[in-house]
Amino acid sequence: MKPQPNDWIWLDSQETVSSVELSEVCGLSPADLEELVDYGALVPISDARPEPLGEARLRYSAEWVPPLRVAVKLRQDFDLDLFTVAMVLGYLTRIESLERQLNALKARLPGPLRS
Amino acid sequence: MKYKDYYAALGVPRDADLAEVKKAYRKLARQHHPDMSKASDAEARFKDAAEAYATLKDPEKRAAYDELGRHPAGEEFAPPPQWRSRGDTSGDPSGGFAGQDFGDLDLADFLASLGRGRRPAGHGAAPGPIPGRDFETSVRISLEDAHRGATLNIEVDDQDGARTLQVTVPPGVNEGQKLRLKGKGGPGFAGGARGDIYLHILLAPHPVFRADRHDLYFDLALAPWEAALGAEIEVPTLDEPVLLTVPALTHSTRKLRLRGRGLANGRGGRGDLYAVVHIDMPTSLSERERELYQELARVSSFNPRASTAQKEHTDEAATQ
Repeated sequence: MKPQPNDWIWLDSQETVSSVELSEVCGLSPADLEELVDYGALVPISDARPEPLGEARLRYSAEWVPPLRVAVKLRQDFDLDLFTVAMVLGYLTRIESLERQLNALKARLPGPLRS
Repeated sequence: MKYKDYYAALGVPRDADLAEVKKAYRKLARQHHPDMSKASDAEARFKDAAEAYATLKDPEKRAAYDELGRHPAGEEFAPPPQWRSRGDTSGDPSGGFAGQDFGDLDLADFLASLGRGRRPAGHGAAPGPIPGRDFETSVRISLEDAHRGATLNIEVDDQDGARTLQVTVPPGVNEGQKLRLKGKGGPGFAGGARGDIYLHILLAPHPVFRADRHDLYFDLALAPWEAALGAEIEVPTLDEPVLLTVPALTHSTRKLRLRGRGLANGRGGRGDLYAVVHIDMPTSLSERERELYQELARVSSFNPRASTAQKEHTDEAATQ
């Protein structure tokens, strides 16, 4: 059956994913995710870590999925260690944020000032 | 099964240690990675190097590969008999590659299966389900399609070559939006789930509107007297034109908002539409217009540089 509009999952700040989902879609083990959280590269929605289930209960903004997949792809392509993945993830999210700011500024500038 | 010379692919001798293998791979990866090289064969060369590295960095895979001895690249060869039970540690004679025709199997697939078949000692399970490939693709759509949704044909590279998939993009996507379509990617193996499709939305430039997320901006040129006296002006929207009230004394770069006239946000709401004002001048003046401007210049006390002059004076005073 042809995919319908409602079949899409929006990977933005309005949606969330569980640790398990994030682990599956990004190809990282739960331990890897936990390490990225420890490095401060990946931020769960709530800082509080409920025990004893801990990590399995954490949820993340779905916005993390695209940059994390890119970082994991680069990890595979260049045989990077997880700390480097954490650094790459930081730079990818920063680039995304700067691109958004640039786009916002360009949209707001009147035509004569853009050219 | 066709032989591939992984050592030649990485340009290392057969007795190279792991550090040499890694260094050679990283150099080639840096050179041929599709994100870094624009060469037409970059992707293929990168894949060759990655395939070679995946085997040579892993002691078990490398040992299995070395068992093959040396062959010319591309030569058909018969794998050693012990390979039939490889890829499975369950001991089940029907497991692993038992009964498979090796002629159809790719060397890389076999060697990759060694890693998947590996389990902690004592567990002895057969290789688990392998999820299908994810497809990632970018589409450039018009602002109108982003607002209203659109049916698109996207091309994905499947195992059997490129195939076209028709998908309907929901209304409300914006520039840079990423969407996931679960279970529509490549088929899984051994009971693995199908992969997913990841769609990256890009917006084509629009002749009138510029989008920032769900808000839209467009340039509204005003004549000096419209900016001074105010005006009612018909302006475009994504739907039908509407009348915009420009207040008197509107200055350049001011943004006049039309609430709820922007892009659909996909969750039942809409962004806003902003008219970005700039004051335009005619390219020439008639005699009468010149007289009127001269008259205005005589009677007006407005000095647009007054605030700048005041600031300069203050700065100067502060340095004395």
